[in-house]
Amino acid sequence: MRLTAITAAFALTATAAFAADKTLDIGVSDALTGGGAVYGLPQANAVKLAAKEINAAGGIKVGDDAYMLNVIAYDDKANPTEASNAVRKLIDRDGVKYILGFCCSGATGAVASFIADEDAVMLVGNAAERSITTREIPNLTRTRPPADYTGAAAGTFVAEKGHKRVAVLGALDVGFYASYVDAFEKELNKAGGEIVSREAFGLKDRDMSPQLTKIRGQEPDAILVVGYVEPAAFIYRQAVELGIDVPRYGFTSGSEEQFLRVATSEQMEGVWDLRPTELTLLSASDNGKAYHANYSAEFGIAPSPSSPYAYDQTYALKDAIEAAGSVDDTAAVAAALRGLSVPDEVVMQYLPVDGKMFDVNGQAYTSNGAFQWQSGNWVFVQDLPSDAAAYSAFLSTID
Amino acid sequence: MVEVIQQIINGIAIGGVYVLIALGLTTVFGILGIAHFAHGSVSMFGGYLTFFFVTGWGFPLLLAILVALIVGLVLGVLIELLAYRPVRDANHINAFIVALGLTMMVEGLNLEFFGHEQVVIPTNLSRVFNIGGVTIPELRLYVILAAALLIVAMTLFVEKTKTGQAIRAVAENRDAAILMGVNVNTIPLVVFSISTALGVCAGVMVGSLFAIAPGIGEGLVVKGFAVLILGGLGSIPGAVVGGLVLGITEALAAGFISSAYKDVIAFVVMIGVLLFRPQGLMGKAS
Repeated sequence: MRLTAITAAFALTATAAFAADKTLDIGVSDALTGGGAVYGLPQANAVKLAAKEINAAGGIKVGDDAYMLNVIAYDDKANPTEASNAVRKLIDRDGVKYILGFCCSGATGAVASFIADEDAVMLVGNAAERSITTREIPNLTRTRPPADYTGAAAGTFVAEKGHKRVAVLGALDVGFYASYVDAFEKELNKAGGEIVSREAFGLKDRDMSPQLTKIRGQEPDAILVVGYVEPAAFIYRQAVELGIDVPRYGFTSGSEEQFLRVATSEQMEGVWDLRPTELTLLSASDNGKAYHANYSAEFGIAPSPSSPYAYDQTYALKDAIEAAGSVDDTAAVAAALRGLSVPDEVVMQYLPVDGKMFDVNGQAYTSNGAFQWQSGNWVFVQDLPSDAAAYSAFLSTID
Repeated sequence: MVEVIQQIINGIAIGGVYVLIALGLTTVFGILGIAHFAHGSVSMFGGYLTFFFVTGWGFPLLLAILVALIVGLVLGVLIELLAYRPVRDANHINAFIVALGLTMMVEGLNLEFFGHEQVVIPTNLSRVFNIGGVTIPELRLYVILAAALLIVAMTLFVEKTKTGQAIRAVAENRDAAILMGVNVNTIPLVVFSISTALGVCAGVMVGSLFAIAPGIGEGLVVKGFAVLILGGLGSIPGAVVGGLVLGITEALAAGFISSAYKDVIAFVVMIGVLLFRPQGLMGKAS
């Protein structure tokens, strides 16, 4: 009896040691420097945090094996060429089969154009360009909903506020921002409103006073700002400096910390952000609060609101690999992702379509929310009208 | 009318920054014939340094700027001595390559020391003046005044001091300057010191008005060279006029034509001017 117990203990120890030796490399391609780093770096951190948690909980279990995750992250600078090179390096040199991250649409679109031919699975995070999930790529999924899904909800919200003349200032040469504005305009027009001006800025522009001066002269009821956090923060600041006192709406997904580097809380007071219901501490679920605390402790800085898209990717991948029962069969893992229920550990509030986290296009949907800057914080005010199932059906009709 | 005046004021603020960048470039180019591409990155270094002194060491803003200026003066001397002097008598292409290499090096150092995040120099200057519907933020007003002060100081230095005369003499005719007893080994050091200090001032202005981040310096130096060509190579009044013309044109183009093409329009205007005055607005015809 004693011998049996010792043998069993030895066997268990041996199994544990054997399991601990198995490592699964997962890749991250994201903007770790440059203009997109405000989204990409937090995403890369989020994947590392999730991997650390998964490893601490025993790793990914496949049959009798447990795989510990090892994250290999490369900087794609939100640049299509750099992203293609980074992913090629991950696949060809590092032998990685699962690639996460992808904050920015241009870089993501470039990788999406060839990923279908690879023995790999691509999990897209914050990149919001619609076409990424309209190409019927079986080994690609995305956690963030497309920009026009949110833009339509935002247009309805602003129209319900009674605004008839809205001036837009945005990074309109970026496809997904333009599609947000197009969907916004469509809903605004339905309610009898109109966009009176479409002013543009470049990603590196920080002086938006000429555009704002023009907008001020057109006397709009409200302004809509769509773009990356950093230029958007300057717009909000410069709008106050120019004496523009109409309501300011935006689509930026920046954290309090990111905005306060540029504008004061007084200059931000009352600004709305109409976006997917991403992480804000005041509206977070228990998972969200834990994520915020763990991320802050790990990296010494608060997570950006959109960073959980990448955190959630990692847990979706874990569940899919476990469901597929293989780390090598990427086709089975990709199929398992599409059949996945929403994992318990995710931070974002997903709206499942037919009970699944990802629809047939590999697209996940969150609810959309109206957040307002109140006394130094983004405060969740209300849900925006969002119909995930209807949008999913619409997405399937697009080539 | 209010909108036009407002746009002109918007343009003067950014134009003032262009002027300072162009002044630094034009003195180096006019006297030494070097296209100092690293000037934008060095300017950003000055801005980063000021930010670091204010936020990291708690210096008052003016003290931080002063210390950054002193560092800029020393840095200018080092750049001349270590980077450009060794290739002074070599083919022009050598200095060109050194300039490109120096740009990458300074950009890399900025990234290494100060990180990839954009930084904004805190100033606490948040008042806004409203005169007949035209608004002028306090910070922009100070930037315009500081730029004007620096332009006047630079002009007086070059026109009225012995060192300034020596600089002009070297720019006119180096051999004749040697015969007149001008120490032509010291002049490049002075020129680079002044140029870098002006660059630091521009970096502080960009960092407080807008932001400093990797890549911003490269964009600024492109604008600086555009101003140089527009105003006339090596001409100090040309740098002043060219900078203001470029800044105001950008603002008016964004306000009245198209914000998406404001840079394009500004450069089209520049090309148009050069068609009629190839030597630039204030340059001398050869």
